[in-house]
Amino acid sequence: MPHTQSDLRPDDADAWLERALVADGAVHRDAYIEDSGFTARVMDALPAPAALPRWRKPALAALWTVAGIGIAFALPGTMFDVARETFRLVSARPFALSEIAALLLVVGVATGTGTVMALRKD
Amino acid sequence: MASPPEVTDAQLIARCLVQDDRHAFAALVRRHQSGVRACLRKLTAGNHALADDLAQETFVNAWRNLAAFRQEARFSTWLYRIATNCWLANARKRKEELLGDRDGAIEDEQVGEDVAASHGDHSRASTLRIDMERALGVLSEAERAAIVQCYHNDLTHEEAAYVLGCPVGTVKTHVLRAKQKLKVALSAWNPDAASA
Repeated sequence: MPHTQSDLRPDDADAWLERALVADGAVHRDAYIEDSGFTARVMDALPAPAALPRWRKPALAALWTVAGIGIAFALPGTMFDVARETFRLVSARPFALSEIAALLLVVGVATGTGTVMALRKD
Repeated sequence: MASPPEVTDAQLIARCLVQDDRHAFAALVRRHQSGVRACLRKLTAGNHALADDLAQETFVNAWRNLAAFRQEARFSTWLYRIATNCWLANARKRKEELLGDRDGAIEDEQVGEDVAASHGDHSRASTLRIDMERALGVLSEAERAAIVQCYHNDLTHEEAAYVLGCPVGTVKTHVLRAKQKLKVALSAWNPDAASA
């Protein structure tokens, strides 16, 4: 027996709308929108990367130089005192050959790393 | 020969964050632009120019806030959330500009007439699409967003709640109310009403 509108539960009565929504949703998801330059426009609209000013590196080098000269003038004789004291400590203790080799290696690595860091491009 | 495995969204996002890699972000935009633009076209009731402007705004906001993406949802779902927020902000702005110009009841009636008039001109599928787009125009922003997320973006109620930033119960209420309005606006598509 064919059922009438009044026999139907509310969900069944609205089934046509559910079907229409599902069908429209499926068409919506299947339809691919071509890029057509959209990505390029987005990339153009992105904020510019934070670029370091060109003068930063020489300015920093100059500041460190000034600071070094300033310290040397402010504390005369300090460098000689430090060097003399270091030599006294080192000479008072006998070093094994392996320790000297390790020290040279550390100094070499530190010098190499420092050189690479100084020469690298920003 | 097997094709190389596709880079995942998570890998592309990591490249963007760690290396500030804009090529990786461009790949993300290319991958998701269709979905985001289509979603916004639905939300803007077919205004393609506005939808594309909002989509662009969506991706720029996504780039700015990429570090805040915690992977608690799919990247596409996160993009839909940003897109919906962009659209809502724009809709509020436009509403302020057009305040008092439109009346919901008149709109309902108008859509019903348009729906009936257009049936003879187009094929059934494309007519349904056009009618649906018009019918979505009678819904409130929240109702339209709920319908688009649940039916067009095929999200679960939980995912839609995340996108809309509201409880799941509110999403279900919006969907129910939207369906009541759509039933009126699309009544010409009701086979029972047509045969009666």
